Amino acid sequence: MSARFDELIHAPTRLAIVSLLAAAQWADFKFIRDELGLSDSALSKQLSTLESAGYVEIRKWFVGKRPRTSARLSPAGRLAFERHVAALQEIVARSGRVMSAATGVTGPGDQETPGHAR
Amino acid sequence: MTDLPSQMAGPPDSTDAARALHEIGRRQGQVIEAVLVPVWYWWVVAAGMIAIGAAADTKRPVVLAVVIPLAVLAIVGLTVAMILGIYRSVQVHGATLLRGRGAIAIVGLDWLVVGLSLGAAFGSRAAGSRVAGTIGTVVGAAALVIAGPAVMRYLRRLMLSQRSGGSG
Repeated sequence: MSARFDELIHAPTRLAIVSLLAAAQWADFKFIRDELGLSDSALSKQLSTLESAGYVEIRKWFVGKRPRTSARLSPAGRLAFERHVAALQEIVARSGRVMSAATGVTGPGDQETPGHAR
Repeated sequence: MTDLPSQMAGPPDSTDAARALHEIGRRQGQVIEAVLVPVWYWWVVAAGMIAIGAAADTKRPVVLAVVIPLAVLAIVGLTVAMILGIYRSVQVHGATLLRGRGAIAIVGLDWLVVGLSLGAAFGSRAAGSRVAGTIGTVVGAAALVIAGPAVMRYLRRLMLSQRSGGSG
């Protein structure tokens, strides 16, 4: 899997939503809203953005007369998230290499990581 | 929460990247925390166990007929409500789910509680105690409230290490 920094995911609110969804199969709208401390409208807006990008799937149904909404990462969204995490790890590791070169200390970040093209 | 970094062009510096990785780990930890059994649950089940043991020791049919079904109903009802509540809120992704070691820990907890309860109860009865049922369930309940949260902490660590896109 190649690392790829994703501007859409990296925005703080969306990063929090996508990170939460990455550990979940499905997550209820209220759960996401409460865990992230967002308003209904703010969460709806971000979920719509992620859905438009093909990163999130939204499921709506009724329990009795109550509407329920759940969200999950689509396969494309999960792949984009994992590539984004790899890109962040690469940035951090690269800075470790720069630090090592400057201080003359050899660390675990000194090993080249093949296939991390951006 | 704002979306300021979305306005910047290009990848972040290493500090921002490290902060983002920390945020990812924290948010995924929230999902794992939400699906684990809360500490109060172990105390409620322990209280139910002791009520059953104490009721059995009275050997009075009326007490047995009232306390045991009530305690069992309370434990089962609470367990079902808790599982459904968690299931409706969030379901853990397959990659984060518990594997063999997690299942062994849960089965091990059950055997520990049952084994200690029966051992203490039969041991007390053999020693001539008239409250063997209470002693057995108190020992089992103590094991439950100590080992239950400990097993949850172990499962939490296990799931955090297996989560998708995990990053410390």
